[in-house]
Amino acid sequence: MTNTPSFVHRSCYATLAFAIVVGAAAGCGKTQPASFRLNMVQATKTSAPEADLERPWEKWSQDRQSQVATILLAMFGTPDEPLALAESGLDEAKLRLAAGPVRSDIVGRKNGLYREHCVHCHGISGDGMGPTAAFLNPYPRDYRPGKFKFKSTWRDAKPTSADLVRVLHEGIAGTSMPSFALLAPTQVDALAEYVRYLSIRGEAELALFTYAEQELGGDEQLPTTREFLVDEILTPIVGKWAAAEESQIPIAAVPAGVDFGLPASDFANRESVARGRVLFLGDGGCVKCHGVTALGDGQANDYDDWNKTIVEVSKEVAGSLDASRQAPTGELSPEKLAEHRARAEWLHAFVEVLEGDALRPRTIPPRNLRQGVYRGGRRPLDLYRRLYTGINGAPMPGVGPSGPGGKGSVADAEIWHIVNYIRSLPYEFDGELGADRPMIAKDRF
Amino acid sequence: MKCSCSIWSLGFAVVAVAVIGTASADEWGVVKGKFVFGGAVPSAAELKTDKDQEVCGKHKLLAEELVVGADKGVANVVVFVRDKGVKVNPEVAKAAAAEKVVLDNKGCRFEPHVAFVQVGQELVIKNSDTVGHNSNVATVKNAPSNNIIPASGEVSAKFTSEEAIPAQVTCNIHPWMKAWLVVRPNPYASVSKTDGTFEIKDVPVGEVELQFWHEKAGYIGEMTIGGKAEKAAKGRKKVSVAAAGTDLGEIVLEPAIFQK
Repeated sequence: MTNTPSFVHRSCYATLAFAIVVGAAAGCGKTQPASFRLNMVQATKTSAPEADLERPWEKWSQDRQSQVATILLAMFGTPDEPLALAESGLDEAKLRLAAGPVRSDIVGRKNGLYREHCVHCHGISGDGMGPTAAFLNPYPRDYRPGKFKFKSTWRDAKPTSADLVRVLHEGIAGTSMPSFALLAPTQVDALAEYVRYLSIRGEAELALFTYAEQELGGDEQLPTTREFLVDEILTPIVGKWAAAEESQIPIAAVPAGVDFGLPASDFANRESVARGRVLFLGDGGCVKCHGVTALGDGQANDYDDWNKTIVEVSKEVAGSLDASRQAPTGELSPEKLAEHRARAEWLHAFVEVLEGDALRPRTIPPRNLRQGVYRGGRRPLDLYRRLYTGINGAPMPGVGPSGPGGKGSVADAEIWHIVNYIRSLPYEFDGELGADRPMIAKDRF
Repeated sequence: MKCSCSIWSLGFAVVAVAVIGTASADEWGVVKGKFVFGGAVPSAAELKTDKDQEVCGKHKLLAEELVVGADKGVANVVVFVRDKGVKVNPEVAKAAAAEKVVLDNKGCRFEPHVAFVQVGQELVIKNSDTVGHNSNVATVKNAPSNNIIPASGEVSAKFTSEEAIPAQVTCNIHPWMKAWLVVRPNPYASVSKTDGTFEIKDVPVGEVELQFWHEKAGYIGEMTIGGKAEKAAKGRKKVSVAAAGTDLGEIVLEPAIFQK
């Protein structure tokens, strides 16, 4: 038995499953049909060897992976032939417009929009690991955890259709995400639906692996009943998407003394900006990360949720690997030795996965608010929403309540003053920064 | 669909048996035990408190990922009854529903380090410090949240679903701060104290499945109970609860399981 698990073939399981079902019908063409990649970080993370394992770990973990791949194939189809179960709430006609290779259909309508516009950054599986991803900062979004940042809903809620369309239409300032305003509205709609599809599929995949880890014993198989796959796995995810429209945060009336029609520096906004500054430095807690000067220099060593997942498992694996190497193996019973070997195999497989299936983790610096670049949009309403719920998936906490009926650290209407203060920051006189300012924006970047 | 029908009828059968089985038994017993570290007491590393030093720098904070008391008791081991739909003593449920669970940001650490809250019970996260904190609650089944909690402020939350493993709570402003939240659908969970003892009261008499979890070890898969080495896949162990109480005695945890 070799100690090196053959994870180089990892992408083959989905392909293999695909080939079994469709391959016969499709024949063996010149090119391989596109297939979704498994979430290998999650697959490996959730498959730590069990003490009661009867088969070799490698075989066992591969079986589990191919089982998940087969389930996902049955529930969601392939990148060329997406499938929308009735319970998924997805519109298959829209998905077909976005999926598959770039081509024209019988009436001359462009198909394969995702592969034309999105795939090179966001990847065929929506994992944010397309061929260009490694060269971009920030990395393209990985849709699979189902977290979205720039939206009108409560922090943990899904974005509305309008939110997704808005990001596609405007792009994301300060990142590599361009605007797709030149696409026809039906095309943008189709892409938004496809993003939803990839996200639901990705979350279902996470749920399957997590379920296997938490509920199944060593050699047990995932249930394949409709009750389990639809009711237990799919429905909770779809339910959140369905609830998006009614999960929008309340928008407080803009208080007197705030005039967004005028510059923040205008006399009319003076008191509001001063009040916003007090909140920025006090109850809003903004100063903690964005710094007294708002240059984003208060805290610079934190990660967003996507990167944190990788950082945490990397740390754990590195620590375990050390412990595993140092553990004396000479006097172990055969049973203990087998366990030790299985664990070492798992750890080495994990190292390979982290190197091959994950981007190098990056910290997320708090935004420099003196640049006037706002990723989620520059309208006062956009800033209000970012402040109210914080930014989902990022360390940025919210100053509003965490759900309906709750209480935030800053009253809803007062948030508008912080918005006004933030609006003033890029234009604030240099002298107003005070003598202790660490550096000015252009020196920092 | 045929096979699902048989699963349903099987489900009914199980429910029926459960109803018959519990109809007569309204007896409750305590499950307790003591976790003991099977090696020399490890020393906790000092944490680097490099944010808000004027306030947080005053406290000499130690890492809490593995807390072993002077008498080798292992603290912060989570024990809970895993059985879904386990019968709950109505009086215990009533008492728990009225009680709030408090997670305090105090002295630039979370107090307690591991908190237990039931589904539907109110959790108050407060800040007794003079600096602002934020509490990033990374629940999986429940909606995760991340609120700013200004000095002497508080937020409250309720959970609608249990969490399979404890959820991490962190403060992004002070990255060394970490706590865990055990969210269970019933009152049957306990977090071991510094002397290593835990106690779950009013568990229905009969067999229940316990699950053992620790932040550093994950599911506790190996332990020595009463001098006998035992394996517990995914930290699960069936125990039989007696009306007079069930004492598991000393549960020895080897240092190796914390070094995974």
